[in-house]
Amino acid sequence: MKRRWIAGAIGALTLALAACAPGSGSSGESDETAGKVTLSLWSWRVEDVKAYEKILAKFEESHPKIHVEFKPFQATEYNNILATGLSGTAGPDVAQLRAYGGLQPLVEAGQLVPLDGKVDALSGFDAKLLEGAKGHTDGKIYGVPFAYQTLQVLYNKKLFADNGIQPPATWDEMIAAAKKLQGAGITPFAVAAGPDATWTLPIVHEIFGNARYGSTAFRDAVIGGKKKFTDPDFTASVKLIKDLEPYFPKDVVAVKIPDVQALFATGKAAMYPTGAFDLAPVLKANPSLEVGQFPVPPPPGSPVTTPVTPGWADGSFGVNAKSTHQAEALELVKWMATPEFGQLYASELKQLSAVPGVTPSDPLLAEMAKNYADNGAPYTLLVDFRYGQPNGDAVFRDEVQKMLAGQTDPEAVSESVQKGVEQWFKPGN
Amino acid sequence: MPRWRVLAVFLLPAFLLYSVFIIYPLVSALDYSFFEWRGIRQAGFAGLDNYRDLLSVYPYDQQLWRAFAHNGLFFAGTMLVQNTVGLLFAVLLFRYGRGKRFLQASFTTPYLVDPLVVGYLWSLLLNPTFGPVNALLEAVGLDSWALPWLGDTHTALPIVILVNAWQWVGFPMLLFSAALASIPAEYHEAARVDGASAWQAFRRVTLPLLTPAIGVVSVLTFIGNFNAFGLVYAMAGSTGSPAGSTDVLGLLFYRVAFVEGGVEAIGRSSALAVLMFVFIFGVSLLATSYFRRRERRLV
Repeated sequence: MKRRWIAGAIGALTLALAACAPGSGSSGESDETAGKVTLSLWSWRVEDVKAYEKILAKFEESHPKIHVEFKPFQATEYNNILATGLSGTAGPDVAQLRAYGGLQPLVEAGQLVPLDGKVDALSGFDAKLLEGAKGHTDGKIYGVPFAYQTLQVLYNKKLFADNGIQPPATWDEMIAAAKKLQGAGITPFAVAAGPDATWTLPIVHEIFGNARYGSTAFRDAVIGGKKKFTDPDFTASVKLIKDLEPYFPKDVVAVKIPDVQALFATGKAAMYPTGAFDLAPVLKANPSLEVGQFPVPPPPGSPVTTPVTPGWADGSFGVNAKSTHQAEALELVKWMATPEFGQLYASELKQLSAVPGVTPSDPLLAEMAKNYADNGAPYTLLVDFRYGQPNGDAVFRDEVQKMLAGQTDPEAVSESVQKGVEQWFKPGN
Repeated sequence: MPRWRVLAVFLLPAFLLYSVFIIYPLVSALDYSFFEWRGIRQAGFAGLDNYRDLLSVYPYDQQLWRAFAHNGLFFAGTMLVQNTVGLLFAVLLFRYGRGKRFLQASFTTPYLVDPLVVGYLWSLLLNPTFGPVNALLEAVGLDSWALPWLGDTHTALPIVILVNAWQWVGFPMLLFSAALASIPAEYHEAARVDGASAWQAFRRVTLPLLTPAIGVVSVLTFIGNFNAFGLVYAMAGSTGSPAGSTDVLGLLFYRVAFVEGGVEAIGRSSALAVLMFVFIFGVSLLATSYFRRRERRLV
């Protein structure tokens, strides 16, 4: 009796282990028997389930033979889940892909279908944004870009009006405004450099310093091997952050992102240098907040004299090389390159769609899109220097935090960035 | 049924689970660390290249030693604060039994909370903009003490060590309490008859007899501190803020493996994991055999 019980227990354990093994079962088998194909679409946007259901319902209207199942995962775990999923048989048919260096591991492991010549609409996309969906060495396109981010200063319209301040047209006007606000007991710039915020420091640097280091021309010179990050212009752009520190919240290296979002949303800080992605959380915290935006006027001595709006591609949608429904998966990504999808995406998710010709319905986002179209520039440490370890922006953020903690100076920051990227970056590639 | 078969049946489930979840990942990490990786594709045998990269590629060459030194400080600080205070609590509870059960339970409750939660809780309490700790200090007139505790490179690591000690102080206390209770009362009586002071009795009689417990506590503290991750991650982020002053090996591993996620990530992070394992396992073995020898001398 006892023996049988033990045998049963072991049997159950074996079964349980077998069930844990990857690759067991595939989705939507019952649908296939009815002549309908079910595609699984993976994403890191857990918060967007409802919007995607609405968007994908439109796709299914025009493609009645295809059913799309939206499957989001935790954003912080997504990269590993996707890499594992693409290597097995239970992976997605279409997946949301990270951009630039984040895409490269999947490309090098041969896990994605190149889309060149398969999705015609891609030729109309902005070349800067397409870079985010290309393999670094082979130059092939592996995804249809879905969104992009722009960097600028958000400001509290009421605080500006109360203090008699206009959106600044020159750098000096901006500093004068900051002084005036500080005198009124308001934190001028909501900037965080705490434990969760180091990744925002390169963003703050882009917003204030992109024009100062020379924008796209400097980036091209570095890629071509004609300039280095130790260039005096780049160092001067780093120094801007140190110079602006008096206008940041007190003890900035201990301040976290939710703190500055709260400062800005509650009207305790007047300006928030950040990406378009922060507009939604700020307005969620205080829906009645009147927000404006301006690109930072170039500081004195800048090689570039018009205000620049740095930006980057957020990611793209690509096709799994192991998908058993590649034809249908291609149909889906083709549709994702149409204005129909772009417009739905922009209006449902309040993001800047990467599809050409789509204008955001939100007036503030429309202004950002226009700034980027007129004077956009790449956020170069993210766009070009994430293809090897250490990442350019990773070295930069650590060193800038050190600088704000008083442990290093702008020259040393530039030297460290150059030294870091030199570990793997060869100019001219 | 022969005896060995009965034994095998009983051992099999534990052995299976242990192999699948402990041995297999350990061996595969060792295996992975010897290959060159492009994403999740192995691109050929790399020998010791991943190890060499870890020790020579900037900034890992500097971060590795810095993180290692911080783990060392973490261990030293924990031994000094957590384990001495734990011993003190154990001795006091042993001498003055009143409220013993209640106090033991209270000292051990922070155990029940995950280190991540403890870390977030304390970073909220210590928040310089909205946190109650500095508000309280300012309210009682100690304005000069209202520092950005987690934002200053000099105070951040000590604060992490203190919070860690706050969470785990009950652990050495329980072990020392058990060890104290097992020391026969006659020894103390004999010492007192011989005219020993309270301190002398503690120093010459109690402490030597606590050697086995001190050994166990030290080795477990060592293992725990060199594997530290959750608490530091919650309080200082993945980069060991501010300016890397709280960076430990666990965070470095996390960054190399998951945060930066370059094409080389799997090889390099596996190499780091193997180095950590070899060091922690090796030192633990040495320390255990050292304390064994000390114990034998006692008998």
